[in-house]
Amino acid sequence: MPRYAMVIDRQRCVGCGACSIACRNENNLSEGVYWSHKITETSGVFPNVRFHYLPTLCNHCTDAPCVRGCPTRAMHKAENGITMHAPKKCIGCRYCMINCPYGVIYFNWKESHQFWKNKQVLIPEVTSSPVEETRKVGGTVIPYYNPEREATLAGIRPKGVVEKCTFCDHRIENGLLPRCVEACPADARIFGDLNNPQSNVNHLLGKFKPFRLQEALGTDPAVYYIRDFSASNYPRTKGAV
Amino acid sequence: MELRDNDETHKYMLMRGRYSYLRDILYDRMTKIIGSPNNISHSSICAEAEKFGPYYTEGYWGYRQYDVLKAHYILLWGADPLAANRQVSYYSKVWGDVVGKATIAIVEPRLSASAGKADEWLPIIPGQDGALAVAIAHILLVQGLWYRPFVGDFTDGVNRFVPGKTVDESGFEEIYTHGVVRWWNLELKDKTAEWAADITGLPAEQIQRVAEGYGNAAPHAISWVGGGPCMQVRGGYSSMACHALNGLVGAADNVGGTLVSNKEYTGKFPAPDEFMDEIAKKGKKHEKIDQRGRLHLPAIKSGKPGSGVVTNNAADGILNEDPYDIKVAIGYMNNFSFSAPQPERWERALSKIPFLVHITTNASEFSWFSDIVLPDTHHMFEKWGYVKSIGNGYRHVTLMQPIVKNVWDYKIDETEIPWLIAEKLAQKGFDNLLRHFQTYQDPETGKAPADEKEFALYALKLVTQNLWDPSQYKGGDKFSGWEEFSKIGVWNSDPYPFRKRWGNMKTKTGMFEFYSETLKAALQSHAANHGVTVNEVMKATNYLARGETAFIPHYEEPFTLGDEKEYPFVHVDHKSRLNREGRSANCTWYYDFKDLDPGEELWADVAKINPIDARKLGIESGDRIKITSPTGSLICTAKHWEGVRPGTVAKCFGQGHWAYGRLASEEFGKKPRGGNNNDIIPAQYEALSGSSAYYGVTRIKIVKI
Repeated sequence: MPRYAMVIDRQRCVGCGACSIACRNENNLSEGVYWSHKITETSGVFPNVRFHYLPTLCNHCTDAPCVRGCPTRAMHKAENGITMHAPKKCIGCRYCMINCPYGVIYFNWKESHQFWKNKQVLIPEVTSSPVEETRKVGGTVIPYYNPEREATLAGIRPKGVVEKCTFCDHRIENGLLPRCVEACPADARIFGDLNNPQSNVNHLLGKFKPFRLQEALGTDPAVYYIRDFSASNYPRTKGAV
Repeated sequence: MELRDNDETHKYMLMRGRYSYLRDILYDRMTKIIGSPNNISHSSICAEAEKFGPYYTEGYWGYRQYDVLKAHYILLWGADPLAANRQVSYYSKVWGDVVGKATIAIVEPRLSASAGKADEWLPIIPGQDGALAVAIAHILLVQGLWYRPFVGDFTDGVNRFVPGKTVDESGFEEIYTHGVVRWWNLELKDKTAEWAADITGLPAEQIQRVAEGYGNAAPHAISWVGGGPCMQVRGGYSSMACHALNGLVGAADNVGGTLVSNKEYTGKFPAPDEFMDEIAKKGKKHEKIDQRGRLHLPAIKSGKPGSGVVTNNAADGILNEDPYDIKVAIGYMNNFSFSAPQPERWERALSKIPFLVHITTNASEFSWFSDIVLPDTHHMFEKWGYVKSIGNGYRHVTLMQPIVKNVWDYKIDETEIPWLIAEKLAQKGFDNLLRHFQTYQDPETGKAPADEKEFALYALKLVTQNLWDPSQYKGGDKFSGWEEFSKIGVWNSDPYPFRKRWGNMKTKTGMFEFYSETLKAALQSHAANHGVTVNEVMKATNYLARGETAFIPHYEEPFTLGDEKEYPFVHVDHKSRLNREGRSANCTWYYDFKDLDPGEELWADVAKINPIDARKLGIESGDRIKITSPTGSLICTAKHWEGVRPGTVAKCFGQGHWAYGRLASEEFGKKPRGGNNNDIIPAQYEALSGSSAYYGVTRIKIVKI
């Protein structure tokens, strides 16, 4: 059985967000929901300033606090290491969100895609309403609805439950890479099987000193980071007293 | 038809925004056969001044490509290849490797996406790029870091470039360049790092370090000129100065350097001449509505005075009826009443046109003033066309094909609509346009198009025939025929022929010109057209150069509107990585991911202010503020940010629509979402290229509201 993991090469990452936008399309995500996300920081004081970007997503931890805390086992571990969620079992208690140290689980406080549920026409007899446009192009709730998401999860998750990244389990089952990996123009995301010593992820983990987020908590995340977002050089110095 | 009856065909106007290369049907052929000189493109609110420097040094008017994977040093001038330059996709793909191999230095008043991954950030005072460029050139020569196999050397091998000292031209033997010693004598000899430090606000040590690092990497040292230093009132010579560095280090046309476009072999549409009747010929002879070619607007594209467009000035031409009034106009995929500086002039100008048509995907600020709005096809999924791009030493010609059924009733802008107009005109007794279009025969069958759909397809097949027809093969990818080409969808050129242009550039001398004989001839030609001297041209175009300095890359003080006491900050306009070619402001994801631009915030339009300045004004992050320039104002949100130079305020272009869909404005037609930068940017020009000035052009003040 594979143990899926992702390596994110921060030097290759250019902070473009293509991962997150592709994820949104693949998984029919609503506004404000980021299965694929980032932590950004502007550090320093003018003129010594840099912008830093760290892509984030569910870490699919081996010892996942979200799973341990779920009272209904809606949040659970699949055999391939993916942390999955069954919306039908979810009672919306949000313990998983409280327990997750990474802030990557989202709760649907209201029905998704409010924008596309609007029936009003902006310019009468010229434009269409969002609802009409979705109907006309054969979408479901949203015009760009991806029905393939339904293979393992509700295509659009209902109000009152949580949702998060599934490593695109529905694509992996069909031999496809997670959408964020495929969409990354910089090839900064490398996906594979930790249990295969020859996998590309193991090659990279053996070559670079990786780090994982909040490693000291012992959650054993499956998302590894290598190298630095900025590869800057600087004039040699010993500093001064 | 009324215009024809009254000999007023010149009062028809076509305005072009984003396009494919089937553009010339609607833009050129239709305008000419109707009989108007007024095909007005958007080019000069885009990047013409950026092309000015490369043309008047190495004879190339166009976007460059950069051999980044083989470069050892990349010096970026207001260019942000990870966000808002051509081929962002390619540079995004390779940048992680590039930063590992090359030193990256970026000259930009605010911390851009690319600056986030750079070795050196040079947060220059807006408008002072030319000073930095000539100082770097000075250091390269003084330190002997020029690339001798390209530039040549002193005949006795002794470097006589000593600060403050003139040099005898006869003692230097140039190889592929022209005028390096004259450039030194006229401009560079006193332009030390210390001199530039005061002007640019950058430490002299940093200037020295960057210049030496750049020179030591020769010839694999790119000077990458973006819009920032060029799209300024006096940006033409900054464009030259920044680009000329490529000549000093031998990077022009070289491995790891700056490259021009590869050859491609698309063809032209049939000539319109025989379909232009006397009315049309007479109409076309009138002066253009953008007033290009007048003394103060030389717009000397590719060396020809009056051949470049002055897009934004067309509004004044229409408003003042100078040279005449416009009665009928079509605009397509453009939105000048939002995207051009001081857009309220366009609002008034468009209101004045008796019959205005807009072809667009988004009902926009331009559509608002139109009598008829024709919904347009989506270029990626519903349109026949092709586009050209360059990158990594290759040129690509990419097909655009209809791959989905049209959802509503709309037509393709550049082909179907002109055909349908031609049919209607024929019905009314003017069939020249239709007869012209009927000559666009299918190259495979020889059949003339019978309707608009056939016309669109045949036009595309016709102009791309050299790429897909094996009997007309000229180079690059080879196909068995149209079917295979349309299936693959892209033609790639042969690899780049490095150094082929050395000694053979399209300049007057064939060389890389530090003393531009090409610009000299162009300026003299413009001056002769008006019976004045080149000095008078300089004066009329707001430049300070007099005499020989007009022909060399040199530093000019920036021309910035607004009194410093009343308007204490310089406005820094920049682009979003989410805008690119536009039309994203009505998408939820634009606002949901806006913080992908460094310093930006979600669902807000922020002005980024250095905390030192903001605190003095008592302004906190999140405060609503009004920004006012001498020509307008906007309302947005304040944001403290260390990534912006004190004394400047950076605000991203893209928001502030008041009519661009239900999301782009807070209340459609009434209340904008955020503020449009163009509302505070005055309609000023880099007149030699006709470009609108966006950078370093205005001072502003801020008040909390």
